Amino acid sequence: MTRLAIAIDLDHCSGCHTCANACKMSNNVPMGMLWNRIVVENADGIYGAEGTYPNLVRTYLPLACQHCENPACQKVCPTGATYKDDKGRVEIDYGKCIGCRMCMAACPYNARVFNWNEPVRKPDFNYGDADVPLREKGMMEKCTLCKERTDRGQEPMCVTCCPMKCRTFGDLDDPNSEIARMKNAGSAFVLLEDMGTKPQVFYVK
Amino acid sequence: MSEKQGFVSGVSGKFLAGALVCAALAVAAFGCWVYQQIGGLGITGMSNATSWGLYIAAFMFCVGLSAGGLIVASSAHVFKIERFKPVALPAVICSTVCICLAGCFVLIDLGGISRVWNMFVSLNLASPLAWNMCVIVCYLVINVLDMVWMVKGEEHKVEVLSRVALPVAILVHSVTAWIFGLEIAREGWHSAIMAPIFVASAMDSGLALLLIGLASLEKGKVFRTSPALFSSLAGLLCVCIAVDAYLIGCELLTMAYPGTQEGNAILAEMLTGSTAPFFWFEIVGGLALPFMMLVFSRNRKRRALVIGASVLVVCGVFCKRVWLLFTSFVHPNVYGGNGITLGTKAAQQGGEGMWSMLGSYAPTPFEVIIVIGVAALGVLAFMVLCKALLPKWQSGCTQGEANDVASVVSECDGAQAE
Repeated sequence: MTRLAIAIDLDHCSGCHTCANACKMSNNVPMGMLWNRIVVENADGIYGAEGTYPNLVRTYLPLACQHCENPACQKVCPTGATYKDDKGRVEIDYGKCIGCRMCMAACPYNARVFNWNEPVRKPDFNYGDADVPLREKGMMEKCTLCKERTDRGQEPMCVTCCPMKCRTFGDLDDPNSEIARMKNAGSAFVLLEDMGTKPQVFYVK
Repeated sequence: MSEKQGFVSGVSGKFLAGALVCAALAVAAFGCWVYQQIGGLGITGMSNATSWGLYIAAFMFCVGLSAGGLIVASSAHVFKIERFKPVALPAVICSTVCICLAGCFVLIDLGGISRVWNMFVSLNLASPLAWNMCVIVCYLVINVLDMVWMVKGEEHKVEVLSRVALPVAILVHSVTAWIFGLEIAREGWHSAIMAPIFVASAMDSGLALLLIGLASLEKGKVFRTSPALFSSLAGLLCVCIAVDAYLIGCELLTMAYPGTQEGNAILAEMLTGSTAPFFWFEIVGGLALPFMMLVFSRNRKRRALVIGASVLVVCGVFCKRVWLLFTSFVHPNVYGGNGITLGTKAAQQGGEGMWSMLGSYAPTPFEVIIVIGVAALGVLAFMVLCKALLPKWQSGCTQGEANDVASVVSECDGAQAE
């Protein structure tokens, strides 16, 4: 089996948002939404911090689909539009999506975004990769782990573009891979572990 | 009898006026729905943070409202409660109309109705929404069969069907609860008691609506309900209110006692936060007040009071749907700046409007018109079906029932003479 995943090193993340924009460009994500966003943990805004002055901490948490092993979104999807593919990615078959938003209510990470309106792009053309499928209004979308790129053997765009090299892409089921080694290193953790969704995406501190 | 025949047949001016108003509202709603199909769900107040809105609240509410009718009608047959039989048909009509409205609201809420055929060709049986579709279709078929057989006077068939109808009615409310209760991501929903609560609040709101329906049929001179039956149904309503209140109490205590961060956040939102008006209206106006009104048998004989209590219960349960649905959308599990990208029309303009730290929601006029229009369509369907079916049923039913009806009518006349 293959379980593709991304490891994110939070110690080196500088909160530059390059990954969010790289993702948006590569995947043709329309205005008003992001597949991949940077959350400043427990702060009230992007320039906020946690704690009281002078004991302040700011943690940048890049957040996108966690490609869970036990995906809550996939179970509740009434048409099977959301599915777990043979490479361990959680994907959406847009043609089957009826826009009921069960998956959105089910996702503990708010990773999914919905086309409430006709998608708007600035500049006004499809800036994404040519083989990335277009989504219409009324369709759900989210991080695909750059399905088209990874199928070609490339890394996801966020991994390629991270200037701090915080992101490691690989197959968790390959024991010799860098990502499998990181997963076993002890400092690896997943988001909202108690939800039991078993995210494949994990963080290192 | 002949006088009664006189007053049920013929269409009065009032009936026509009422029907026209309802039809006009329904047409307005249809217009808004077409506009929604063109522009997308962006014309509603929903966003990526609060991904379900008034439509889904109305869906839960209507599924609940349909409970009372079928439960009264089928328990008349299953538990041999003879005195419920005279209202069995209006009860089933009420139930049928409400479940159709519930189905409408789910379809209206879909973003991709043009792809809905996937529900038939690639159904995921693990999804509570898939269960919901199956159970609602079953429930609707049972209701329609019940209606047809009752009008035809095929008593034996109705009796057999009622044995299936009762468990399916319980299931329809449970499955609706599971759409929410099985979502581990939402602290306020994820609870095993959700299904029993939905059954209980379905029974109290459904019975209350049935009482309102019966009273208005009498006002419209279509159908009479004996005062004895009316107060006995009011007694049943009182019991259902108590059960509902008890289950809600259990849920609140279980949520509050451990004092977890998530539980506290939900409770604070409900007790003093954005959904507090709805929560307190439900507790005071939807449970405490109607219970106090109906618990005394003397009050249950006063029709105006029973109707007042019923209206309060229906409004209270609607408020309950609102606080139950929206409280769990307020606080995202992963909290931090800048929050969630909203995906709305405003968000498409970019800038700060693209983000939200917390979930917020207010229905737009389009949503409100659609919900009112669909409800008006329901009222219209109830009026027409009652007008068309009830006279047939009363004149065509079996001898035993005819006697019941006759005695009810004479009781009514007696009561009015008093």
